[in-house]
Amino acid sequence: MPLSRSISVTSLSGLEEWDEEFDLEDAVLFEIAWEVANKVGGIYTVIQTKARLTCEEWGENYFLVGPYMESNVRTQVELIEPPNPTLRRTIDKMNSSGCKVYFGRWLIEGSPYVILLDVGFTAWSLDRWKSELWENCAIGVPWFDREANDAVLFGFLTAWLLGEYAAQCEDPPHILAHFHEWLAGLGLVLCRQRHLPVATIFTTHATLLGRYLCAGNVDFYNNLAEFNLDKEAGDRQIYHRYCLERAAVRCAHVFTTVSKITAIEAEHLLKRKPDIVTPNGLNVKKFSAMHEFQNLHAQSKARIQEFIRGHFYGHLDFNLDKTVFLFIAGRYEFSNKGADLFLEALARLNYLLRVNHSQVTVIAFFIMPARTNNFNVETLKGQAVRKQLWDTAQTVKERFGKKLYESLLVGQLPEVSKMLDKEDFTMMKRAIFATQRQCLPPVCTHNMLEDSTDPILSSIRRIGLFNSSQDRVKVIFHPEFLSSTSPLLPMDYEEFVRGCHLGVFPSYYEPWGYTPAECTVMGIPSISTNLSGFGCFMEEHIADPSSYGIYILDRRFRSVDESCNQLTSYLFQFCQQSRRQRIIQRNRTERLSDLLDWRYLGRYYVSARHMALAKAFPESYAYEPQDLTSATGFRYPRPASVPPSPAHSLHSSPHHSEAEDEDETYDEDLEAEKDRQNIRQPFSLPNKNKSLEGDLPEKN
Amino acid sequence: MPGPNQAFVTLATSDAYCMGSLVVGKCLRRHGTTRKLVVMVSPNISREERLSLEDVFDEVIVVDMLDSRDRAHLFWLGRPDLGVTFTKLHCWTLTQYTKCVFLDADTLVLCNVDELFEREELSAAPDPGWPDCFNSGVFVFRPSLETHSCLLEHAKMCGSFDGGDQGLLNAFFSDWAIKDIHKHLPFIYNLSANAIYTYLPAFHKYGHQAKIVHFLGRNKPWHVPYQEHPSTEVPQWDSNGTLEKYVNLWWAEYYGHTKTHLDELTHELQDDEPIEQLGMLVAAPCSSHVDTSPHWSQPTTTSPSASHPHDPESVSQAEDREEKIPSESVKKPTLDAPSSSTCYQLEDMCSNLDVISAVEPGDSEKSELQEPQVEQKQEEDVSGAESALSEAESDAGRADALQESLEHRKRWEEGHIDYMGKDAFENIRIKLDQFLD
Repeated sequence: MPLSRSISVTSLSGLEEWDEEFDLEDAVLFEIAWEVANKVGGIYTVIQTKARLTCEEWGENYFLVGPYMESNVRTQVELIEPPNPTLRRTIDKMNSSGCKVYFGRWLIEGSPYVILLDVGFTAWSLDRWKSELWENCAIGVPWFDREANDAVLFGFLTAWLLGEYAAQCEDPPHILAHFHEWLAGLGLVLCRQRHLPVATIFTTHATLLGRYLCAGNVDFYNNLAEFNLDKEAGDRQIYHRYCLERAAVRCAHVFTTVSKITAIEAEHLLKRKPDIVTPNGLNVKKFSAMHEFQNLHAQSKARIQEFIRGHFYGHLDFNLDKTVFLFIAGRYEFSNKGADLFLEALARLNYLLRVNHSQVTVIAFFIMPARTNNFNVETLKGQAVRKQLWDTAQTVKERFGKKLYESLLVGQLPEVSKMLDKEDFTMMKRAIFATQRQCLPPVCTHNMLEDSTDPILSSIRRIGLFNSSQDRVKVIFHPEFLSSTSPLLPMDYEEFVRGCHLGVFPSYYEPWGYTPAECTVMGIPSISTNLSGFGCFMEEHIADPSSYGIYILDRRFRSVDESCNQLTSYLFQFCQQSRRQRIIQRNRTERLSDLLDWRYLGRYYVSARHMALAKAFPESYAYEPQDLTSATGFRYPRPASVPPSPAHSLHSSPHHSEAEDEDETYDEDLEAEKDRQNIRQPFSLPNKNKSLEGDLPEKN
Repeated sequence: MPGPNQAFVTLATSDAYCMGSLVVGKCLRRHGTTRKLVVMVSPNISREERLSLEDVFDEVIVVDMLDSRDRAHLFWLGRPDLGVTFTKLHCWTLTQYTKCVFLDADTLVLCNVDELFEREELSAAPDPGWPDCFNSGVFVFRPSLETHSCLLEHAKMCGSFDGGDQGLLNAFFSDWAIKDIHKHLPFIYNLSANAIYTYLPAFHKYGHQAKIVHFLGRNKPWHVPYQEHPSTEVPQWDSNGTLEKYVNLWWAEYYGHTKTHLDELTHELQDDEPIEQLGMLVAAPCSSHVDTSPHWSQPTTTSPSASHPHDPESVSQAEDREEKIPSESVKKPTLDAPSSSTCYQLEDMCSNLDVISAVEPGDSEKSELQEPQVEQKQEEDVSGAESALSEAESDAGRADALQESLEHRKRWEEGHIDYMGKDAFENIRIKLDQFLD
């Protein structure tokens, strides 16, 4: 069923007409999450990257609230005295009443203030607080669920903090509290239960139940409306967590989620339609040189090629210049992340490339951490052999160079046949013999602990992609996060992504999806799905996503087989592109990065905050929801020049020459200018705290 | 004889603690104190609770603990429990008395302790957890507005290191540990019941001398069902069974005094206590079926436990008091003789309660509460003064409800959640909506 458009996804430009005149002079913003200065999962990235923009908007009145973890504080936080006297009183008061509250600056971009609550220190209050929770909300928390008990302590501490702060204010304050995820949600419920003067926002980045149901191979999206929620949660032993999550959703003034698809999920699984969708952004790094990202791509690609030379030693029967690098990366959730679909599509692509006698070779990387015991010998040997060949070549080159030099010194042109003597040839022959190999290049770079049951390896065995020389599709499974200190592939994740040609993320369950977003800002095309938040967002804002290098699979309304065919055809089309076409496509992709910058996406958060303030303090704030019908949907148009996207200009012959491309009119500057007009100027904040900005250590 | 201007003071800040205060008052009376009895109650205590306290205490003082600014403060603070701390300090304002002994509502006095008035401010017994600190459950003090304001000032300046009154008082009377040994009350004046096991041999040697038992910690006697017949298996809240004895004593006191009062009524004795507590008496003794072992998921088909009397809802029945003269079937209890001996004989108590339980089947005929357990009991034989018992049954219903709530929470804690039944989120939502606009 098609969704009615919600406010947030209607238009970026439409938002501009909203409430920029909000007076935040006496308002204070607390943003509360378990992952503030505490990296557990993806919410850390959201909060950490968003902080700079929020700091610019709220200045000294912005406080992040998280749990105190000693190791994190030592590495990420500079403890200081609270400059705000009200807050200082609040913290002193709490510290003298038997808790430990720390205050400091989080050493990330924007250097926001953080308030860290020592959850363990107040564990003695757990029973009292749990009975209070029981009396007020009829929710109990099993003693064995440590995380949920931490959530209780954290919730009561945050409610205490907010209540104390309100009490310490001389004038009635306008407090805004933004809670992320169920772990922080109890604080929100308590704020409402105690009738604190706090406007509350609850943001869920995924639903608890959704994650569980999807992981359990349920036909999730087709049955969304049919689940008996209480039963599903209870059967999975997460009923108390689910209750905390739903209670927070129920009590929040404003409820938001990160994407349209999660909004649908929330509507069914949390029984409340999000008031606004707040997509996640990134802090886009701008290079001073134009197209610097293209240079970085070339550099990183060269390093990947080096790795491939070693990995495929003895089987280097393909042209590395006509090799396309694909990758999938993320948590090892085989079907949620779509690794199953990707493997199947690779098998079909292999067939297609073979029957079409394509010159293109595809190498697909799987970067998904699994349980291993270190690298396997064969892969390490590959790199050693490559190194040895390199050394041999260097030695011969030295000797060759010396002879050449000597012959020039005596004024003779060198005799080519004498430049290399027998010894050189012997050395080279020996080196070549060393590259002989009996086995095929390994699929997996590590020794897996659960080799026989591993889902990726099992699928590879089934579809038979063993890196043999006939295969046009080669597979490399790297079951560990990338690191620049690795002896195998010494690159960090960002460098690696820059060196690849296409990221493939055919996820079934992906509330937002930072991986394709990161690809986009680095100018690397990607494949995502209309079940991922990123895919929904891009589909909404770009008229022809695939010409911008954003391929979006339909996994929502198509069967698995159809989706797989669609993925195969995307991949096949991508392989058909010439180098020049790929370069143009990367330029276009990179231009979309403005769309993913917090400077644009932050405004959804701004709207959510205004909405909450207006709901909680109607006498001080007014919020006029935009008339939905008048908001003209803004969409990124087709690229201005003739689209070279294979979707529209698929050549009948796969062997078209590069010369043909030259005919295509492509004016980079013209196109970029048009795109720039389509994206409004960066968000200028109604910043009332500008006078304070001098105090902010932004220079750091 | 310094009787009239000296007093025992206790404090009730919730309905449950009212039960405790009542017991404190009753046992002091029963052991024949010559001093006044004063109870301070917070304003949230319902009128009928206060009335019932008035039956036992000479003075029931409503302490509106905090001036308005402070109250607002605590309200925003979201820590109403801290208010309790400040309420306790209010005992220093009772300047109509020259010297007082404060007893926490979770204490049980086992014999006459009037000799405490020979002590000076501030005398208290050591805390079992940190013997250099005194436990603020029992202490001797001299009311003084000056001390009171100093205490408040101290609280404001320094707060309390443990978040409660004990931390505050220990910080204020910081020389208690070293200055004057006469201010150290013997431990038998404040025997922490659940700390017994930490030094069991000492308890065996000296335990019989105990004068005041303090139910420190989370298991208050009113949380624990009364064991009419001591069970063979030791319940989990009591590691070696010693506590059980005191809990039963507490319950005996709780019901026993009512019985005494009943006795007085029927025998035209001079006490002026009202008879409304009869309700408790009748509601009481059905607890023998309660299973303290963890089989909570099995609904008991027998009658539920009794614990909490004093339902605010029972106001409407206050007018009916006259008709609540108990039936003659209640025999004269054997317990009313004030005893100054150290310990109570549990067997006496049990037999006594057996007497009471004879009345039990009469309750709940006209139940207003639709507790299923109550309804089950209706099938039982009905006898006795029904109108008198209707209050009893509402008390019983409330006690059931509270007990039920405790058990219910415990099931959640153990992960046995009835998510397809009464724990469905729909019910939680209704609960949440009560405080949402």
